[in-house]
Amino acid sequence: MSLGHHHAWLPPGHLRPPDDLHDARSANGYSRSFSGARTPQLRASADADGLHAGTLISDADLAPDDDPRIAMFRDLYKRSEAQINDLFANQKSAEEAARSAVADAEETQTKSQRADESAPPPAPAKKPARKLDDDDYDDYDDDDDDDDEASSPPKPKSLGTSHDPSGLPSPSRPSSGSVSVVIEARKETKKETLEDIRKKLEQDKKATEEAAKRSFHTLFYTLENDRDAMLDQQRLEESERQVEAEMSGQANAGNNPNSNSNGYGSLSSANLGASSLTLKNLIARIDMKRTMVQASDAELRSLMSEVRKNRSKWASEDKIGQEELYEAAEKVLSELKAMTEHSTAFLTRVNKRDAPDYYTIIKHPMDLGTMTKKLKALQYKSKQEFVDDINLIWSNCFKYNTNPEHFLRKHALYMKKETEKLVPLIPEIVIRDRAEVEAEERRLQLAEMDGADESDDEPIMSSRGRKAPGKSSKKGAAPVRNTPSGSEPPAGQASQPPAPVRSDSDTAMEGTQNGFPTPPPGGTQTPSDPAGVGAGVQGSQGDAMEIDGLIPSNNNILTALPASGVESEDPEYKVWKQVTKKDRAVIAAERHRLFKGDKLNSEEPALLRTKAGMRRWLRNQMQINAEGDKARESTAQGLDPGAAGETLAEGIEVDEDRVIPDYYDVMSGVPDLPPHLSWKEDSDGNIVDASEEFLRVLPSGSFTQPDSKLSRKMDANMRQMQETRKVCSKIGIVKQMQLQSQMYQNQFQKYQPEPFVEHDVPAHVMNDGGPVISPWVCKAALQRSVAKIFYHTGFEEYQPSALDAVTDIASDFFQKIGETLKSYMETPKLPATETPEPNTAPQWKRAYTEPEMVLHTLSSVGVDVESLESYIKDDVERLGTKLSTAHDRLRSLLSELLRPALADGGEDGSSAFQDGSEQFIGGDFAEDIDEDFFGFKELGLDREFGLATLSVPLHLLQNRMYNAAQAQNTSAAQAVTLFPPPPAYPRITSETLLSQIGLVQGFLGAKLKTSNSESLVEDLELPPKQRPTAARPRLPASGKIQPPAAASGLTTSPQKRPLPPSAAGQQPASKLGISEPSKKKVKKNSGASIGASDSVVEGEEALPGVDGTKASATTAVKPNTADEPSVDATPDLSGKGDMDTGPDGVGAESVDNAAPLTNGTVAGDAS
Amino acid sequence: MSTDRTPKYRQEIQQMMFVSGETAEPSVETTTLIEEIVRQQVVEILARSTALATRRGVRSISTDDLIFLIRHDKAKVSRLKTFLSWKDVRKNVKDSDDKGGADAADFAAADDPIAGGVVAGPQDVASKPKNKRARVGLAWDVNSFYSVQVPEREDEEDEEEEEQNYATLQRLAAADERTKHMTREEYVFWSECRQASFTYRKSKRFREWAGFGIVTESKPNDDIVDILGFLTFEIVQTLTEEALKVKEREDREKNRRGGADNGEDSKKRKRETGLFDPPEEGRTPVEPKHIREAYRKLQATPNKNIAMLLHNGRVPARMPLRLI
Repeated sequence: MSLGHHHAWLPPGHLRPPDDLHDARSANGYSRSFSGARTPQLRASADADGLHAGTLISDADLAPDDDPRIAMFRDLYKRSEAQINDLFANQKSAEEAARSAVADAEETQTKSQRADESAPPPAPAKKPARKLDDDDYDDYDDDDDDDDEASSPPKPKSLGTSHDPSGLPSPSRPSSGSVSVVIEARKETKKETLEDIRKKLEQDKKATEEAAKRSFHTLFYTLENDRDAMLDQQRLEESERQVEAEMSGQANAGNNPNSNSNGYGSLSSANLGASSLTLKNLIARIDMKRTMVQASDAELRSLMSEVRKNRSKWASEDKIGQEELYEAAEKVLSELKAMTEHSTAFLTRVNKRDAPDYYTIIKHPMDLGTMTKKLKALQYKSKQEFVDDINLIWSNCFKYNTNPEHFLRKHALYMKKETEKLVPLIPEIVIRDRAEVEAEERRLQLAEMDGADESDDEPIMSSRGRKAPGKSSKKGAAPVRNTPSGSEPPAGQASQPPAPVRSDSDTAMEGTQNGFPTPPPGGTQTPSDPAGVGAGVQGSQGDAMEIDGLIPSNNNILTALPASGVESEDPEYKVWKQVTKKDRAVIAAERHRLFKGDKLNSEEPALLRTKAGMRRWLRNQMQINAEGDKARESTAQGLDPGAAGETLAEGIEVDEDRVIPDYYDVMSGVPDLPPHLSWKEDSDGNIVDASEEFLRVLPSGSFTQPDSKLSRKMDANMRQMQETRKVCSKIGIVKQMQLQSQMYQNQFQKYQPEPFVEHDVPAHVMNDGGPVISPWVCKAALQRSVAKIFYHTGFEEYQPSALDAVTDIASDFFQKIGETLKSYMETPKLPATETPEPNTAPQWKRAYTEPEMVLHTLSSVGVDVESLESYIKDDVERLGTKLSTAHDRLRSLLSELLRPALADGGEDGSSAFQDGSEQFIGGDFAEDIDEDFFGFKELGLDREFGLATLSVPLHLLQNRMYNAAQAQNTSAAQAVTLFPPPPAYPRITSETLLSQIGLVQGFLGAKLKTSNSESLVEDLELPPKQRPTAARPRLPASGKIQPPAAASGLTTSPQKRPLPPSAAGQQPASKLGISEPSKKKVKKNSGASIGASDSVVEGEEALPGVDGTKASATTAVKPNTADEPSVDATPDLSGKGDMDTGPDGVGAESVDNAAPLTNGTVAGDAS
Repeated sequence: MSTDRTPKYRQEIQQMMFVSGETAEPSVETTTLIEEIVRQQVVEILARSTALATRRGVRSISTDDLIFLIRHDKAKVSRLKTFLSWKDVRKNVKDSDDKGGADAADFAAADDPIAGGVVAGPQDVASKPKNKRARVGLAWDVNSFYSVQVPEREDEEDEEEEEQNYATLQRLAAADERTKHMTREEYVFWSECRQASFTYRKSKRFREWAGFGIVTESKPNDDIVDILGFLTFEIVQTLTEEALKVKEREDREKNRRGGADNGEDSKKRKRETGLFDPPEEGRTPVEPKHIREAYRKLQATPNKNIAMLLHNGRVPARMPLRLI
C-alpha cells in the first residue's frame, strides 16, 4: 500500500495504521458517523487508499523516501486517535467529540505547517491527467452524484481528504512545494497540480461545510447571531450594489473590447472556462488522441468556439486568458467578501471621519469594494496584480492597527489565511492580446516546421495563455498597479502565495512597530484598517468619499458586533458561524422582510416551501438516521441506505444547497409520518399491509343496547305488548265478523308485529382508539332508545317531531350529567393523610371516590338510587306482570268469543280443535300435523302467494263465526221458549180483512186496493234490501217531520216511525207487549229483542237474524195496532259493543220474564 | 281574590289538625294561615287541571286531570283511588237504598254464585258495586295500551295497590294507636273530627271559597268536588304533620339550650320523663311560624326540577307553586 504517499498527502489527523484498513467502509462519502468525525475519516482514507492502490501502484517506490515525516505524522495520528478514542470510551456527548476534533485539527494544523516546509509530495504529479481532470471538473462545478463509475470513486476521496477543516493548509503547501520543484521540467504536471490545488481548496471548503453540517445534528445553535449575520450580509450586498452603481458609469469603456470579434475561432479562449464543463472533457479527449484528429488546431478552435454556448461575461476574443483569470478572480473576491464574519471591515473604503489620520499613515489604501470595481473595469492584467491588491488590504490593516490585540488584526489575519487558501484557485494567466498570441503561435509553428518538435506532446488547450511570461502584455493599466511595499516581486509562473504573504505581514508588522511608534487609535473600534487599502490610488477618491458618506453610521455598529464575539467563541462555534453565516443571513432577511416595524406585514408575499428544501430536509433526516444505524452496527455496509432514498424528483428543481441546520429552515420541515403509515414492501415487492396494526374495527355493539337484565326485561315487556296487541286485533276481527255478513279476504290486515331488533352500525374502521365522534349516528341511536322507552310506556307510534324533541331533551340531560360528573372528577385532590409527617412528600388522593362521584352527580340532577330502583321495580317489572295478566285476560276473552263458533261445528271437522281456538285462528294446525293440508305446497302455491305458513285464511271462518253469532242470538232466544212457536199469522188478503180489528180494516183495505187485492207482504218477508227500514226517511234539517206520502211504496207496509230511544227499555211497556201475545202483526227486530220470544212471528225461523245487521231499535207497528203502546221496544245495546256494560235493563227484563237469562251475553254482542 | 276574607273552615281545620296529631288548640291565626295555604293550593290545582282539560280539548275537568296532577305521589294516587272506589260503593249502596226492598232480592241473587251459572256475567257485573268496589282506571294504565278493553277479573288482587296503601296503613295504625286508650266520648269526638271535610255537605260553601267560576269556567261535578275535599284534607294533614315536626325540633333545641342555662336539673329531666312532668297534651299548639316553616320546606324545589338548568342554566326567580 502506498501508505507513505497518503500520509504525506492527508492531514495528519486522518492517518491511521494500516491494520485499521479492514474497518474501512465505502459509502459514497455520505454516511457519517453518528457521534463524531471518526468513521468518515476512516472510510474516506480507505477509499483513497483503494483508489490509489488501484491506479497509482507506481508510486509505491516513492513512499520510503518520506519515512521520517511519516513517522511523525503517525505519531500525531496516534495521539489524536487516542484522544478521540478516549472521548468515545467515556461516552461523551457528540458535541465534545466534535469540539475536540476541531481542537485537534488546529493543533495538527500548526504542526503540519512546520512539517510542510520541505514536504516533497510528488504524488499528484504522478496522477494520470485525465483522471484528475474528471475529478476536478466534477468537484469544481457541482457536487451531485455522478452515475459514471469512473468518476464516482474520486468523490469519496475528495470528501475524505477534506474532511477536517484543519487540514486546509496542508494540501496546498505540498502542492506549491511540488510546483516549485518540478515546475520547470513538467508544465503539464504543474497545471494539474494547480488544478489540484484548486480542487483541494474546494474540497476543504466543502469539508468545512460538512463538518458544520455534521454538527447540526449534535449541537443546537441559537438564533442570536442571525441579526448580525443579516446585517453583515446586507452590508455586503450594499457595497456590491455601490460598486455596481459606480461601475455602471465607467464600465462601458472597459467592456468595449469584449464585444467585438465574435466567431473568430480561438481555441485558447475556449478552454478552461469554468462554465464549459463538457467541452473540457471533450478537449481533454482531443488532447489525448491528438494524433488521430485530422483537423488543425485552428479548425478545432473555431469548432470549439462555435459549440460553446454559455460564455461568461468576461469572455473576450481579443484578450486571451481574460475569461479564465477574471472568472477565478471574481470567485475569490466574492468568496472573501462573503466571509462577512471577518470581511465586513474591509468591504469599503475607510472613512476619514472615522479615522482622521488614516490616510496619513496608509498611502495606498485598498479595499474589497475597490477591488471589485477594478475587476469590473478590467484593470487587472495578471493574477499577480490581483493578489497584490488583496494582500495590500491586509497589510494596510496591520500597518495601521499596530496594537497586536486589536480586533481588526484578527480579522485581517483570518482574511489573510483565507486568501492564502483561495489564491491558488486563480490560474497563472497573464492577459495578452490575441494578435500577439497568434503572432507567437505562428512563430512557433514556423519553428516546428523547422524541425523543432519539442512541443509535440503539449496539449493544445493547456498551452494557451500560460506560456507568455508575466508582464509581456500589459496594457495601459500599468500606472495603476502599485504593488504594495512588502510584496515580493512577481515570481514568474510559480506563485507562492504563502511566502509573499508571510513576508508581507512580517514587514508590515515591523513597519508598524518600528516606524510608527505612536499607538493606533485603538479602542475606538473604527474600521481603520481598510483605510490602508483604499487610499485612492486609482484617482477615484472623491467617489470613495461619497460612498463612505452613505454608510458611515453603519460602520461602527457593524464592525463592532462581530468583533465582540470573536474572542470567546469555541472553535466549532466559529466554524459554524462562518459556514452558515450567509444562509443564516438570507433566512433571517427573508423573515425580516415579513415584518414592518413590530407588526406582520400583510403585503409581503408568503414564504413558500420548496421541493428542494423539503428534499434536503428529508435527506438530512435520513442521514441522521443512517448515522444512528451506523453507530449501532459496526459491520460495513455496501451502500448507504440513505442514498437509496433519493427520489426521482431529485432533479426537478435546482437544489440549492444551504448549509444550515434543519431547524433554521422551518419551511422545509416535513412532519413525521407515523411509522405504521409508511409504504412498506416486503422482499417480494408486495405491499406490507400495516393496517392491522393501527386500524381497528369499531367493536360491534357500540350503538346497540347493551345486554343487561333490565334491557332483557324491557324487551320481554315489549314483546308481550306486541303479542297482546295481536290478540286484540284478533278480538276486533272476531267481533267484526259477528256483525258483518260478508267478508273479504283482505278486509282485515293481519296484525303481525315483528320483534324489535336493534341494528348496529355497519362495520366501521377507525384510525385510533377512543369513542366515535359522529353526532348523527349517536343521535340516531339515542333516538332509537327513546323510541323504545316510548313503546315500553305504551305508545304504539309517535310523531317524529315528538321523538326529536324528547331526544334533544334526553341528550341535554345526559350532557348535564356528564358535565357534573366531570366536575366532580376534576375536583382538586386532597391531602391523603390528615397529619402527614413534615418531611414526607404529601400524599394526594381524589376528593371523591367513584361511588361518591356517581351519587353526587345523581343527586345534583335530582335522581337517587331509590328512584331508579323504584323505576325498575314499578315501571319495568311490575309492568311486566301487569302486561302478562292483561294478555291472559284478553286471550281468554278471545277464546270465549271463538268457542261458540267452533263448538257446534262438526261437519267440516272444525270441532276437532276442541278448545284450540287460537290454533284455529292462527291456522297453525296444518303445520302441526305436518302435512300439506290443502295441497298448497304440492301445487307450489305457497311460494307463489308468499304464504309463510299454510294457515287457514281467517275469512274462511267468517261464515261460521257469523252464523254462530246469529245462531247464538236466536238459539238463545229459542232456548228460553219452552213452547213451540205459534203458527204464523195468515197473510192479509181481502178475504181475511174482515177478521182484523175494525180500526185497521180501513187502512188495510186501502192497502189491498193499491196492491190490486193481492195479499199484503210483511216487511220481514222481504229481502233485507227492500225492507222499508232500509229506506228509512231521514229527519230533515228543519226538524219537522214531513207527513208521509200516501203512495210511499207499493208493497211495503206503511212507514214506521222510529221510536225515540228514550222509549226503549221501559219495563212496563215490554211487559205489556209480552203480556199480549195474542195480538197479531207485531213487527219487531229480532236482533235485540228479548221479550219477543213469546210473540215471535212466522218469519223468524225462516230468516234467523236477517235484520241483525240493521240492529236498530225501531219497531214496526201496524196502524191497526197503534193503539197499543210500543210493544217490543228493546234496550239499545248496540252502542256499547261490550257484554260487560249496560246490563241493567237486560237484567231487569230477565227477572221479569221469570226465565233463566241465557241470552244476555250474546245479545249484547250481537248488536 | 281578596285576602281579608273571613275564615270559613276554622273548625274543620282544627278537627283535621287534631286527627293529624295536633292535640292542642291551634290559634285562629294558625288555622287562618292554613286555610289560606289550602285555598291557594286548591286554586292552583283547579287552574292546572283546567289547563290540562283544555289541552285535551275538553272544557270540564275530569278526575283523570286531577289525578294526573298528583301522579308522582303514588301513595296519594293510591289513596285517592281507594277513596273514589269507596265513594262509588257508597253511591251505589245509596242508590239501592233509594230503590228500596227490590234490591234485597238482588243482593241475594248476586251473593249466590250458583244462581249466576255459566252466563252469570251481566248479573255479576250488575251486582258488582255492591260487594266489590269498582276499580278506578287511569288513562295511563296498562289497560289503556290496547284497543280492546281488558276484561276485569276480580280474583287477582292488585299487589300494587297493597303496596301503595302502605302509607295509608301506617296512618291508620298511628290513628289506631292514638285511639286505643280513648274513652267513649273521646272516640266519638275523634270520629267526628275524622269526618271533617271541606266539602262534605258544604258543597256550596266550598265552591265559593275555592272560587269556582273564576278559576275554572265549568261547573265541576260532584266527583271533582269530592276529590278536592279529599285533597284538601291531605294538604292540611301534610302541613300539620310537617309543622309538628318543625315544632318538635324547635322544642328540642329550646330544651337543650334551656338545659344549658339551668344546669344539670334540666339534663336530668331530659334524660328521664319525670313523674311530675307536664303531660304531653299540655304542649303549646302549633304556631303560624311552624306552619310557615313547614310550608317553606314543602315548597323547596327538588333538584330534579332544576336539573336541566345545571351548568350555566339560570334558576328562575320564581318556581311554580308546588302542590302539597
